Amino acid sequence: MIASELIWLIFLLPVFSFIIVSLFIRPSVKPTSKIAGYITITAISASLVLSLWTLLTVMAEPKHELAVPDFSWLTVGDLTIRIGLMIDSLTAVMLVVVTVVSLMVQIYSQGYMHGDPGYHRYYAWMSLFTASMLGVIMANSLLLIFFFWELVGLCSYLLIGFWFHRPAAANAAKKAFVVTRLGDFGFLAAILLLYTNTGTFNIPELHEMAITGVLAGTTLTWAAIGIFAGAIGKSAQFPLHVWLPDAMEGPTPVSALIHAATMVAAGVFLVARTFPLFVNSATAVTIVAVIGAFTAIFAATMGLVMNDMKRVVAYSTISQLGYMMLGLGAAGLALRQEGHVTLELAKAAAAIGIFHLFNHAFFKALLFLGAGSVNHATNTFDMRQMGGLRKVMPWTYATFVIGALSLAGIWPLSGFWSKDEILAVTWDTQRVLFTLVMITVLMTAFYIFRVVFLTFSGQYRGSDPGSHGQEHDHTTHLHESSPVMVAPMVILAILAIISGFWNITGSFDAFMGHGETRSFASGLFGIFTHPLPWIALLVAGLGIFLAYAIYGAKWLSAERIGHIFRPLYIIFSRKYWFDELYENVIVKLILLKWVFAALEKIDTKVVDGAVNGLANTVRTIYRIALLNGIFDILQRVDGTKIEKANGVIKEPNKNWWQVDGIVNVMANGVTASGEALKKTQTGQLQLYGLVIGLGVVAIILVLYFAG
Amino acid sequence: MATDYIYIALFLLAAILFVVTTLLIPVTLRFLKIIPHNPTPVKGSPFECGVETIGKTWVQFNLRYYLYALVFLIIDVLVVFLYPWAVNIRHLGLTGLIEMLILLTIVTVGYIYAWKKGALEWK
Amino acid sequence: MNLQLFIPELTLAIFAIAVILLDLFVQRKGVLAGVSVAGLVISAGFTLTMWGSEPQTIFNNMLAVDSFALFFKLLFTGIAILVILASVDYASKLTNLQGEYYALVLLSVLGMMLMAAATELISIYVALGLTSLSLCALVGFLKDSKSSEAALKYFLLSAMVSAVLLFGMALVFGVTGETQLSKIAQVIQAMPLTNITDNPALVLGVVLLIVGFGFKIAAVPFHMWVPDVYEGAPTPITAYLSVGSKAAGFAVILRIFSSAFGLPEWLSLNWGMLFAVLAAISMTLGNVVALPQTNIKRMLGYSSIAQAGYLMVGLATVGILPTADVLGQSAILFFLASYTVTNLGAFIAIIAISNKTNSDLIQDFSGMIRRAPGLALALTLCLVSLIGMPPAAGFMAKFYIFSAGVHSGLLWLVIIAVLNSVISAYYYLRVVKVMWFGEPTSTEKVFSSGALRFSLFITSIGVLLLGILPGLVMKLTEAASKMLAFLP
Repeated sequence: MIASELIWLIFLLPVFSFIIVSLFIRPSVKPTSKIAGYITITAISASLVLSLWTLLTVMAEPKHELAVPDFSWLTVGDLTIRIGLMIDSLTAVMLVVVTVVSLMVQIYSQGYMHGDPGYHRYYAWMSLFTASMLGVIMANSLLLIFFFWELVGLCSYLLIGFWFHRPAAANAAKKAFVVTRLGDFGFLAAILLLYTNTGTFNIPELHEMAITGVLAGTTLTWAAIGIFAGAIGKSAQFPLHVWLPDAMEGPTPVSALIHAATMVAAGVFLVARTFPLFVNSATAVTIVAVIGAFTAIFAATMGLVMNDMKRVVAYSTISQLGYMMLGLGAAGLALRQEGHVTLELAKAAAAIGIFHLFNHAFFKALLFLGAGSVNHATNTFDMRQMGGLRKVMPWTYATFVIGALSLAGIWPLSGFWSKDEILAVTWDTQRVLFTLVMITVLMTAFYIFRVVFLTFSGQYRGSDPGSHGQEHDHTTHLHESSPVMVAPMVILAILAIISGFWNITGSFDAFMGHGETRSFASGLFGIFTHPLPWIALLVAGLGIFLAYAIYGAKWLSAERIGHIFRPLYIIFSRKYWFDELYENVIVKLILLKWVFAALEKIDTKVVDGAVNGLANTVRTIYRIALLNGIFDILQRVDGTKIEKANGVIKEPNKNWWQVDGIVNVMANGVTASGEALKKTQTGQLQLYGLVIGLGVVAIILVLYFAG
Repeated sequence: MATDYIYIALFLLAAILFVVTTLLIPVTLRFLKIIPHNPTPVKGSPFECGVETIGKTWVQFNLRYYLYALVFLIIDVLVVFLYPWAVNIRHLGLTGLIEMLILLTIVTVGYIYAWKKGALEWK
Repeated sequence: MNLQLFIPELTLAIFAIAVILLDLFVQRKGVLAGVSVAGLVISAGFTLTMWGSEPQTIFNNMLAVDSFALFFKLLFTGIAILVILASVDYASKLTNLQGEYYALVLLSVLGMMLMAAATELISIYVALGLTSLSLCALVGFLKDSKSSEAALKYFLLSAMVSAVLLFGMALVFGVTGETQLSKIAQVIQAMPLTNITDNPALVLGVVLLIVGFGFKIAAVPFHMWVPDVYEGAPTPITAYLSVGSKAAGFAVILRIFSSAFGLPEWLSLNWGMLFAVLAAISMTLGNVVALPQTNIKRMLGYSSIAQAGYLMVGLATVGILPTADVLGQSAILFFLASYTVTNLGAFIAIIAISNKTNSDLIQDFSGMIRRAPGLALALTLCLVSLIGMPPAAGFMAKFYIFSAGVHSGLLWLVIIAVLNSVISAYYYLRVVKVMWFGEPTSTEKVFSSGALRFSLFITSIGVLLLGILPGLVMKLTEAASKMLAFLP
């Protein structure tokens, strides 16, 4: 058993390290000192130990749930918000994923970030990120999840823009923030919708209502879609995928932790967490499956042609997140086909997607750290500048290949097992989507081995590793990275091999909710009694072979192939022009800017013009209607005098009766105010008064006709 | 209800008629050639209570006049409150006395303020 | 009559006079700020002692002393203390008018306190006059052309609108024969419904009242003075206008419309819808026009129009679902409290920065995180709160008021408001981006006085406190708005 105080500590330890590093270490200690890293690593190690303890405790529980007492945070009228933790099998698995990857990345960063002037800032944000990510995982209410969700987004923003003096990084940070927030508003709307319909933010209660049918129909569908909108933003699914590749401007360990293993997976986690809300809506699960499958292939096509090593891995992340979403959606569809939906079954259905998340976290973090390690040596991410690094960096090479094999889905590595489950459930429910992801399997194997061959085989093509300074300015010669960076990669490589074994016996499914168990050996080899794994392996093998043929053995010329598929190449490498579309239409708000400019004009010029137009009309009416004599008299009444100059009577100044002048009557009362008056006489003030008057008239008219 | 408004409408009508008529009388008379049209500089000059104008009518006054006028006006108007109070002094009793003292205190503070700020000096 | 209940106001009046007199005889003008703050603290202390007692009225039912009025009195004194602290640097530049400056701030607080307490049309009007006149003078305090222009505009438009307001009051009085809000309510409720629906005078009166106070809270289309006046006025006074004057306006609106025009439902539904429409227009126009602004004070001016729009969502809620449940009223009070700390914090940070750089242009805030990390961080926090992001107060406030809106079936309005929040993120974040990622225009550090830093610290703590532990203040706002429940 684990005490509930200790569970709280999992979350609080990184909070403490954030406070200590940001308030005490950063202002007082030089950035060359490694103290901040040690503090963070200690805190997260402790969190990891506690997470593992929690996992074991949850496993031992018969219902795989831990009851942690919650407390009331705020009470307003009938609105009571309670804060509490929800510790079930999903939480326990995610806790281990986040703390393990976070720990590995923090250790790696000791080497990678060493000597950076923002070293302490880096560890402060990383601690805060880990804390808020753990908050997302453990929170038992949607409101609390949303809170940490935003905090996670803030950390992501700060870490993408970590090297803020680089314009690309600053812009990428803003882009990530704005784009993910678009999705977040859907999430917020869903929370409000659920709250107004049920009066609660509590997730277990919402689960109960969704399963028993208290919450159903369009409300449930819209709520699920809103939640999924949030997940689309965070998990960079189509059409909000554009921010993730740009987010690679951040330090590579950040990409590994936040933009590969944990935060982007938060979207998948959120859907899994609220999965009982999805399964009762056919529309919602279908949308999840379709968006997931489409994103998987869509991102993979772009990954085929990128020359930036890190960006290939980034597109691969988007694609794999699509797989997870597809796994969730297809499992939901399968569950609906069977007809009988219970809470356990719904939670178990989410296991397929989560299992891929679990495996993906390790091998994708590994791939990113490998990319970072290569960058550390070559100072570039451009694969055209690499090649032949196998001999120089044997450890990086070996671990990267393990990660690549796992990503490609080669038996018996972890990626194979979870991907196979997704393929199987998709085959059972949706053949069209199955075809799409089967093509994606081919692409995945191809693009990741393209990276492997371009980077590690052949001859070194870079000219002078010092001059292309991407992340580090100091000149280096090619070398293997230091042990502090290699060690985490080796650990992650081991995890990338074995993490998939958990479900060979079916025990992961059983842990998540419901599933039959089998013996290890029958699981390991018995899977080949079905045709599906054979096909998948064959397709992946074909992808690897193609990559070898083009980039390894060079039997085929990459240029020739590129030339043949030139239109496709252009579309892929320009990323379907999505950046341009968003940049020009939405982000830069050109369209809206036009509207703003127009509105501002209306606010100042057009209304002004209307006043003048009115003046002209009135003037004309005056001219037509009145006699000259009346003018004479009116002028005298007004006191306008005829100036005598050299005995000649000048024409009286007739301007006074223009409407501009008439509305100036107010201003005439304060003639003494000199300079100020010059400005007020331009018509502005009268305009303000006029607008108030028109407002009154408009309100009255509207009330008269409508009320 | 509506009949009540008729009086207002009549009143409005009468007012408009009066203004328009007075304005139209000289025009009509001139139109009928009853008054001659013979403008001279003297006729065109502004009428100032029968006294001939000296210099421009739009001369600028020293700002101090306004300051004096303002201080005078404020204190004058406030002191006028003393009359109704004095008439009813028996009736208002002690409360009235205290209230009047408060008023006078405030006025005095204003006076001291104007004095110290130099508003009463002609510099 | 119990004069004890009037002590907070009397204290302020005495201190205002004392400050003026002191200014004449004291050479060290720093004392004046101290005396003013002392007066405000004493007044707030007296107010606090009354909290929790039974609601009472004084001066023949002209002023109420209830928790609603007390809440606002505390809010106003708090605002004024922060404004005076923020003005210390600013006022020291004025050589011979410092006493007037502080005295006018105290007098305007007095006016606002009376506005929140008044339960009778005439006293509301007089209190409004006191507030407006003091503020007009304060707006023109810099005596440069921009400041004078702003003061003149504010004065003339105030005068015009107060005439409109008076006309509205006259109409209401004409129909009901009463100026006492509770008696107006009695008369209206005793009337047959057809008398109200067929008689345009009452509705017209109500509309004109909305116009009069709409000007005070800067609702579109009565908003056009805002950007000019905000830009021209001394920055502490801009801060004061943006929170104090607005809060006072909402206090009066809540008081009048809840206690006089709450019933029959036909009437409250109508003004509720009117506020809903004005809310939608205000927030949209405010946010959209704020986008292209380059001057940060002007930008915050338009932003305050938009914030008035969010606040009016609460007013619409009050009108549309008149129940004993005071969710809407309480949400408005909470929003006002959160907006007060947030906007004051933002303005204080701007004062501190532009005191040094002598510019209000957004581009001159470039790289401020390196020149003044503390100020930039606090300003960022306040802007984040204005967007409505957790963990800042703005999030809780918006959440509270929007959920009140959804509660009363105004889903369409809440959707518009949420969309507006997205738009607003763009221009607030632009400032954040400039401060964090821009190149500093000079390497010189920006130092600020202790008083400024202290007030900024207080507001930042307030922003975080209201965002993280909103329950404390929500209890106060709930208690304060209990007075306004519609009682059939």
